[in-house]
Amino acid sequence: MIARDPARVARDAGPDEPVGEADDRFDLLRLPVIGSFLRWRGSRWVLQTPVLLVSIVMIAHAFFGPDLAPKNLATLLTWVHFRGLLVLVILFGGNFFCMACPFMLPRELARRFALPRWNWPHWLRNKGPAIVLFVGVLFVYELFNLWADPWATGLMIVGYFIAAFAVDFLFKRASFCKYVCPVGQFNFLASTLSPLEVAVRDPNACTTCRTKDCIAGRRSPETGASGRGPIVQRGCELDLFQQRKVGNLDCTFCMDCIRACPHDNVGILARLPGEELAATGARSSIGDPARRGDWTLLIVVFVFGAVLNAFAMISPVYTLEQLIARTLRLTAAWPVLAALFTLALVVEPAVLLGGAAWLSRKAAGGAVGLAQTINRFTRALVPLGFGVWLAHYGFHFFTGALTVIPVSQYAVSHATGQAWLGAPQWQLGGLPVAIVYPLELGFLSLGLVASLLVAWRIAGDFAPNNRARAFAPWALVTVLLFASACWTMSQPMDMRGTFVS
Amino acid sequence: MASHSNSAVSRFAPERSRGRLAIAVLAGASLAFAACRPKPRQTDPNAHVSIQFDPGPPVVGQSTLNVTLTDAAGQPLRIGNLAVEGDMNHAGMKPVFARLQEMAPGRYTGRLHFTMGGDWFLLFTGDRADGGHFEKRVAVPGVRTQ
Repeated sequence: MIARDPARVARDAGPDEPVGEADDRFDLLRLPVIGSFLRWRGSRWVLQTPVLLVSIVMIAHAFFGPDLAPKNLATLLTWVHFRGLLVLVILFGGNFFCMACPFMLPRELARRFALPRWNWPHWLRNKGPAIVLFVGVLFVYELFNLWADPWATGLMIVGYFIAAFAVDFLFKRASFCKYVCPVGQFNFLASTLSPLEVAVRDPNACTTCRTKDCIAGRRSPETGASGRGPIVQRGCELDLFQQRKVGNLDCTFCMDCIRACPHDNVGILARLPGEELAATGARSSIGDPARRGDWTLLIVVFVFGAVLNAFAMISPVYTLEQLIARTLRLTAAWPVLAALFTLALVVEPAVLLGGAAWLSRKAAGGAVGLAQTINRFTRALVPLGFGVWLAHYGFHFFTGALTVIPVSQYAVSHATGQAWLGAPQWQLGGLPVAIVYPLELGFLSLGLVASLLVAWRIAGDFAPNNRARAFAPWALVTVLLFASACWTMSQPMDMRGTFVS
Repeated sequence: MASHSNSAVSRFAPERSRGRLAIAVLAGASLAFAACRPKPRQTDPNAHVSIQFDPGPPVVGQSTLNVTLTDAAGQPLRIGNLAVEGDMNHAGMKPVFARLQEMAPGRYTGRLHFTMGGDWFLLFTGDRADGGHFEKRVAVPGVRTQ
């Protein structure tokens, strides 16, 4: 914990009284230009608008452009650039992709005319809907070869816009982001490894804050008929109360809390990546992750889905698919794929995590239940899972980053009949595979080390007197997953679009 | 009792209509997009392309293409400036190009470098004898890694 100077802490600060700087951590908001921009009320719109315009171009190209994926901006930008940049920005910064999310722009415009009236149903206030959609996206991606299909990719983008708009048109607050959006859940988990977090600068100032605007919203001093002024700056729509917020889970970097805080006590602070994964106890709006089975299931999909998604891009997947088809006497593609997903996302995690938890429980004397043991330790696999996503998405991005130039040139000349951007420079690609492969191994190794460190920390809390024995099974699971990911990345990528027929 | 019931209806009616509107928009948009999927582009449906790869079946690396072009009647099809562009089906992969030499009427040869294993499309382009543009796409699934 960072030492604080009590003399610099403002006591009983009233609204609009800035507190002293009690936290010496790097704060992105303290930077001259970037800080001012991020605090500015219109900053999110400024970031969202170009992304929305690019999305519109992508949709148009998906439906009216070439049907060949490498020449279509929808497939190229979605599956190469968006995914690659997303994981890199999260790795080196924070969840700025959620901040610039274009799906939120239509709903913001709609909310200027009509406000939603329903609350998100209580029985759906968990990660269940997002988990189903996360698995669904991975499944549909493989079944319909989305990477090779501009039209289907465009349909998915349009569907995403419609779903986000419909959910937030009907339900209050940020229901789509918190409970539905699979990309958002991916970002939440990945950003546990980010070096930046939205956090309070001085926790002591929050204890004396009377208005709690960071979550309640900031009201105008002019009182209306209800005796309270209208909200002029909303608070956190994902119900994260800054005083009890830990890390980046469920945080979309929307900056609402930063602008709402009357004490200027919320910043974008540097922190140790992954540290929040080992944190114990309850946190705002999430509770105790050790008691949240839905979070554990989400992590399982995040980690094992990463390995599966990468494995599906290499040729040995054919052999496994054929084996499944022969064994189960299946002829259609979707049941084979369903069996593969069941193996990778249900059977394998159940065996590995169940076995490791059973052994760790024994080390701790059996005081903690099996499910809770799984909940506590599974978080340690998030860094490795992120490493696998980084290696996979990084491969596509680094090897194909420059293809956006000729594809854009081609799109413009195709659409207008004039080569306004010049003739397509098809020779532009990206880094050679020989250079990208060590990068992939680097990402995987970082994930391995971070996962082992988090598991070690969790084991210390879980079984203080028998830490090594509690840690060992999870270290073994981590190393096994790391080895399988390394093997997958060492295989030649096999960009296939065919399936069992 | 009746007035209580009426007030309940009036209070929730806008929310119900909002829900119905959202569902209608979702369903309508889904149907509209599902119905308007274009068919894959047909390129010179009367032309037939037969390719022999050496080594065959095609593998990653340099490959010699022996191409035979015939028309709908099975007669050799002569195309001027015949070129081939190879694309993978995954976005982010740069295409490869080659020019083909005519060895005999309707028979062409050239060398193409398959840069990665997986599914490829070959796009043949050239000039027809009648001055028109020739374009034909051929799928080459499952180029293997050696």
